[in-house]
Amino acid sequence: MDRRSATAIAPRAQVCLLLEGTYPYVAGGVSSWVHRIVSDLPEVSFALLHIGAVRGSYGAPRYTVPANVTELSELYCQTGPSPGPADLAARRELERRIHRVRRHRGPVSASRTLAALRRMHLGEGVDDALVSDLARADLSIAELLHSDAAFAVITELYERLAPDAAFLDFFWHFRAMHAPLLRLLAAPVPDADSYHTVSTGYAGLVGAVASVRTNRPLLLTEHGFYTRERDIELSRAAWIRDPDPGDPRIPNPRPSPLRRFWSRGFAALSRIAYHQAQSIVSLGDNLRQQQMSYGAPADKLLVIPNGVAVPASAVGATGKRAPADPAEPADPADPGDRSRALRVGFVGRVVPIKDVATFIKACDLALRSVNLDVHIIGPDDEDPAYARRCKALVAMLARESHIRFVGPKPAAQIYAELDVVVLTSFSESQPLVILEAGAAGLPVIATDVGVCREMLEGRTGDDRALGPSGRVTRVADPEDTAAALTELAGSPRLRAELGEAGRARVHAYYRSNQMIDRYRALYRATLEA
Amino acid sequence: MAGIGWRLERMIAHGSLAGSFAAYLTGAAVTSAPWLLTTVALVAMHLLARTHAGMGEFPQVEQIVTVTYAVTLVLGAPVHIVVSRYAADRLYERRPAAIAAPLYRALAMTLLGFSLVGLVTATLIAAPLPLACAVPALTVVVGGQWLLLGVGGGLCSPAVVLRAFGAGTVVSIAGAIVLERAAGLGARGFLYGFTAGQAVAMTGMLIGVLCALPDGDDSAGDPGPGPRLGFAFREYRLLAASAFASQLAMWADKLMIWLLAGRDLAVIYASAAALAWFSVIPAFAWIFVELETAFYRAFRGFYGAIEGGAGLAEVAAGAAALRREATRILHGAVAIQLVVTALVLVGSDRLVLAIDLPRAAITPFRLVALAAVPQLVTLVGMILLHYFDLRRDALVVATTHLVGCAAATAAACALGIPPGIGSVTASTLSAAIVLRVVTSRLRTLVADTFQSQPYSDELLD
Repeated sequence: MDRRSATAIAPRAQVCLLLEGTYPYVAGGVSSWVHRIVSDLPEVSFALLHIGAVRGSYGAPRYTVPANVTELSELYCQTGPSPGPADLAARRELERRIHRVRRHRGPVSASRTLAALRRMHLGEGVDDALVSDLARADLSIAELLHSDAAFAVITELYERLAPDAAFLDFFWHFRAMHAPLLRLLAAPVPDADSYHTVSTGYAGLVGAVASVRTNRPLLLTEHGFYTRERDIELSRAAWIRDPDPGDPRIPNPRPSPLRRFWSRGFAALSRIAYHQAQSIVSLGDNLRQQQMSYGAPADKLLVIPNGVAVPASAVGATGKRAPADPAEPADPADPGDRSRALRVGFVGRVVPIKDVATFIKACDLALRSVNLDVHIIGPDDEDPAYARRCKALVAMLARESHIRFVGPKPAAQIYAELDVVVLTSFSESQPLVILEAGAAGLPVIATDVGVCREMLEGRTGDDRALGPSGRVTRVADPEDTAAALTELAGSPRLRAELGEAGRARVHAYYRSNQMIDRYRALYRATLEA
Repeated sequence: MAGIGWRLERMIAHGSLAGSFAAYLTGAAVTSAPWLLTTVALVAMHLLARTHAGMGEFPQVEQIVTVTYAVTLVLGAPVHIVVSRYAADRLYERRPAAIAAPLYRALAMTLLGFSLVGLVTATLIAAPLPLACAVPALTVVVGGQWLLLGVGGGLCSPAVVLRAFGAGTVVSIAGAIVLERAAGLGARGFLYGFTAGQAVAMTGMLIGVLCALPDGDDSAGDPGPGPRLGFAFREYRLLAASAFASQLAMWADKLMIWLLAGRDLAVIYASAAALAWFSVIPAFAWIFVELETAFYRAFRGFYGAIEGGAGLAEVAAGAAALRREATRILHGAVAIQLVVTALVLVGSDRLVLAIDLPRAAITPFRLVALAAVPQLVTLVGMILLHYFDLRRDALVVATTHLVGCAAATAAACALGIPPGIGSVTASTLSAAIVLRVVTSRLRTLVADTFQSQPYSDELLD
């Protein structure tokens, strides 16, 4: 683990933020949220723990860390490639290490962590004993990889969870799943008065065991459904061998035992974080319900929607839309505007979970009846293979002149050049892009995931009274998205009405300062408690 | 040996007694022919010397041959096993073209190295110059023979080995007679003739290996460490050490007797031991045939099930089958050896006297024949350990055997009891240890197979 301190001796931070694969090295919604929280709460001291997969894979920080961050540490659950066959000294050392462990025979281990890993997979519930056994971290990676006791657990889990899988596959998947966990459990965590994880998963586990070890509170803000997002990744993962893969184009209704094993593992990590957290923040009611269905206790859940900065000048005294910018038509209902191509934007990373392919297909369908100028705005380097497939799809549909990949752009430029924003994600929590589009007075077409529906149609009675600010479509349904695009392209008035409602909704319920105030209160209550 | 298992399977599959007999005869030829034929040549010379006057030098010739073989086989054992393993690995990878160049280098090094070993040996045993000058030649020839045997065993058919050593034996005996009687060289003629005959055997093996190796060399441009012999010596250092210890253990009792009880008793004991060791040939044949057929099938079945995506139950069943096979081979070998040992013990007097050994050799002969039973168990155990690549365990067993043999023989000499009792005791102890290790390893075969695997980046923690 690397630890880089802002000062020579870092004072104990009030809040340690546990960040898995995000801030400050990865741009995106969660990172933006973290940056806002840290920047807008200058009176709170933060330690940041960045948790990643492999050292060196994240590049330079994408954000300038504010001064109230006392410590930035990095923790990696994998450390890099193994020594080559020619590295004899390393191989001998490895042989000696394996031999040392293999010398001590017997299927029984005193390790409570090993017992906890077993219960984590087999038990339905999570209790204090399970989390504190994990927090003991009394199982070395060498013991996990080479001891008889660990093998006894592997065989038991195999027989109970995946008896139809190839044992060799199960064995390696077990190692791949648990070696990173042990590395995380054994790593030191910055000392802090409280721990705040922005996801479940590995960060949630680290937060839970840190909380147990220090007897300090854990907060959890779940921006997305970690378990579901992992499930989506697992359903597409080529590194899991299915006994009968079938037609790769058709989703398999019965996931393979190994996919189920991984899924159960991630679900267990989520339950551990839910169990240990003092408070669990949801971004919306829909997410809150789903968190409960995944095992989050209802009494710990509270809703704090994300917010975006809304310039005061953007909203008139009545909450009506401010004077239009020069690029906007004087009369939105002017039929002459219909001849201009509708400027459609997809704002986000070009990755499978955003289902960019469905977006492209929807645009292709809509282009058969209306004129569109489509921009895909966002980085495409996270999953280059997927990005290539998306570009190939555009080429195959011969839509290069209408659909363009323009890469990342500054937020300030994005919305001024668009008429409609579209999201086709498989999974989201509370996408900032909807709030940003709403603040810019743009209508949004979004799939019915996370809290998108309540962001577009209203969460409470007063909210709903503002009217819809966009259209909600079905997941992975290009026709549905295309129909919404066609509808909006054909009615500048409708776009204006939806955009106005969005602007009013963001101003009323999703302002950044509202969110910051609520987190300030939450931190204060947590630290005082 | 390439394809030998398949050939043996075919012989046995006939279902006839003749087929099975042919299979076990092949096993006997493969495992025992070289040293059997070499010993036949020595015994023949011994008998010839008995009938000829003026052979006062002959015991010295026998001593030179014995010491030369002992030194060469002990020092050559690590090289032979590493080169043999290297060749086996390349054959497994279906890259026989990568064997030739490293083999030639190893052969050149062997010839050069053992000429120096021969000079040192000749100096140490203080042989007269006419005899001493044959020592380096004999060490070079024996070293080269066994190196080629290690590689040729995997490449050539048993007939090639048989032809080479058969011709070597004939030339050894004929050469000895010609040089001793026609050329009038006396006992020296025996040594020179024997050396020439062994050179013929080495040449036969070399020709057989050259014919078996494909043209070309694919090792030169290979960036990986696999085809390099130097890497093989580092990679298989434990294997080399256990081969050295095993080979030294075979001579440790004789050496201790020589040092503590005198040369005369050592010579008698060594001769008796050489004769008694013939008793293991039937068990060797059984072990070889069973290992190459039924055991190999079970072995491939176990690992094939793992690699083929079998469930745990099937993997465990494969391990159980492998355990059964190992037990069966061990039981069979012990049963055969017990029968042969009983027969040998019954006829020990006549056997010893028939080859003109003194009566004092009868007790050592009996004791060494008895020791052959636990030694065979140790051998089977070591083979199984090597089969499962448990080099560290094999080294522990071999070292224990070496230390035990030396210590027990020394103790027997000190107590004034027949030194062979020490050999029996040490061999029994080694057998018990190897049985315990093998039983334990076979019991935990599944766990060991999986949990001994290294995992990507664990070294970098």
